[in-house]
Amino acid sequence: MAKTYDYLFKLLLIGDSGVGKTSILFRFSEDAFNISFISTIGIDFKIRTIDLDGKKVKLQIWDTAGQERFRTITTAYYRGSMGIMLVYDVTNEKSFENIKNWIRNIEENASADVEKMILGNKCDLEAKRQVSKERGEQLAVEYQIKFIETSAKDSLNVESAFYTLARDIKAKMEKKQEASNPAGARSGAHQIRANEQQRKPTSWLSRCSLL
Amino acid sequence: MESNKTDSDIGDKCNSNGDCSPTPNKQSFDINNAKNIDDISTPSELKFDEEPDYEDPEVKEKKKEIEKCLENLDWVNLEQWQDFAKGKAGLISDDYRRKIWPLLVGVTQEEMTEPPSLDELSTHIEYNQVVLDVNRSLKRFPPGIPYEQRVALQDQLTVLILRVIMKYPHLKYYQGYHDVAITLLLVCGDRASFPLLCRLSYGPGAPLAPFMQTTMQPTQHLLNYMLPVISRADRKLAECLDKAQVGTMFALPWYLTWFGHSLNKYTDVVRLYDYFLCAPPLFPVYVTAAIVLYRADEVFNCECDMAMLHCLLSRLPDDLPFEDILVTAKRLYEDNDPTDLEAEVAALERREEEQRRLDEERLKRRQLANRRNASSVAARLRRCVPAALRGPWSRRACLATATVLLGIYVYYRPDILFNRTRPERTAPSVPRASQRAIRPPQMGPSRADADTESRRT
Repeated sequence: MAKTYDYLFKLLLIGDSGVGKTSILFRFSEDAFNISFISTIGIDFKIRTIDLDGKKVKLQIWDTAGQERFRTITTAYYRGSMGIMLVYDVTNEKSFENIKNWIRNIEENASADVEKMILGNKCDLEAKRQVSKERGEQLAVEYQIKFIETSAKDSLNVESAFYTLARDIKAKMEKKQEASNPAGARSGAHQIRANEQQRKPTSWLSRCSLL
Repeated sequence: MESNKTDSDIGDKCNSNGDCSPTPNKQSFDINNAKNIDDISTPSELKFDEEPDYEDPEVKEKKKEIEKCLENLDWVNLEQWQDFAKGKAGLISDDYRRKIWPLLVGVTQEEMTEPPSLDELSTHIEYNQVVLDVNRSLKRFPPGIPYEQRVALQDQLTVLILRVIMKYPHLKYYQGYHDVAITLLLVCGDRASFPLLCRLSYGPGAPLAPFMQTTMQPTQHLLNYMLPVISRADRKLAECLDKAQVGTMFALPWYLTWFGHSLNKYTDVVRLYDYFLCAPPLFPVYVTAAIVLYRADEVFNCECDMAMLHCLLSRLPDDLPFEDILVTAKRLYEDNDPTDLEAEVAALERREEEQRRLDEERLKRRQLANRRNASSVAARLRRCVPAALRGPWSRRACLATATVLLGIYVYYRPDILFNRTRPERTAPSVPRASQRAIRPPQMGPSRADADTESRRT
């Protein structure tokens, strides 16, 4: 089958149950919002292909169950992810506090160079807000992760969040490519898949340590 | 109503995206049935589908038989009810189901007690999670149901779930349990559904009990039985699934909810429940296998990729011939008893474990390499070295050149080797300072370890 994209990025949405992971994904992939969403059981995914600086980037976005009980199942999907969205609900203090636990989860299960982003969702519900934007920003600074407040319902910042994450992954990937193969990077070899990137030759330094 | 419309939109849009092709949801419920819901205390009166105009003569005959049996309850044994439930069209209508489901699992009138109020239960630790899921179960209610009645039913659902997990505190609520609970509630009402759900959740052979353990591991184990069943029936199909490493997760919500979460047609859900209520606990896994076997051609036509296959299989078409699928599942069960499959499942899990171990090792190696790569001054220098010098063949050349250069240097500056002061502090301090300077900002707190690690090597 001929590839219709230049890059394939695998992304993951994690966060407490009910923070709006599925709604965010639905807003991004279908540009719609549905009040009667059903709980996500286990894991599911959606696809959207976007255009980034003239390149077709296919985003394969995995949506996970938020309940602790499914943790062993969902963490198996961390490994192949190149970008992870950590979602909390600005009207739910606990979901914000748990972001730290989710970050620990990433550190234990995901690839070290995975791109991360924190999303404070439901920012349209100003009257019910429990977590201020400043606290979100502070947490993001603490972990040196990008942060944005979103509203899947009002379609606020969802698009830009995914574009930002995708752009960061793309930049990192191209930098790596250039580092490992400065000549090839400009030769028009653009058909890169996630797995190829993972199977990058071992670095000169690690070879050196074998000496 | 709205939700249904949006659902079919999902299908179309997803299709237009070209990669993910779920079956578009049909408007499966008759919207105009609010008239059936007059009294909230009898939720079993809810109707999802209009009676079909054409009625199969066989089914018509079966109805008569069931009615006769219901008139002579004392004369009918369990086996007879099971035959009805398993046979073609199952128990046919919710009017029969309401009376027969409790009989299938041996619930007595005395057990059907008045439920407590929601306020009494709201302090339970799982209360919030249950309410979250119940609030997101709108799809399961009859479309067009008046708001007040729906809210009352949702409260009944919350009470029902909390009652069970309070009665058996060692059982853990899972997302999906609410899908089973609501099916029982809609058919049998709040009094009968409590002992029914208890029977399904607790006791030896209780089908939902493995899902309610501390982890999902027992569930994953049981779901693994699907693969050898498929393999024995269609080796080529099993190989295809194995090659794509699609696993069993696409079927997880089917098994956890007895398909209640994943099917759009209410009549399909209750038909399956007729059967499952009197089948062995592992039977839903055989139904899963039968569905995958039925869709073999779709699998063969799909790109052999984990995500694509997961996407294809996890979305159940609306027109699955469940009567045939149940017959297939029954045959599969008779031909491949779970005890016969144990060795194959164990082998499969050993392989998975081995794969997981290898993946983890690879991940660790990569993490270590990345850290070294990012933190080492050599990594930067490396970029300045011409590509020709970076090939594996140049390793020896580099080493030899370095040795010669060092030799020359020592020759001219013997003091550096024989007369230096505190050499161990001056030497490494240069790279360490540089390491700090080029440390990428997004790297986490474990940098220090990486530094030590790279120096050690």
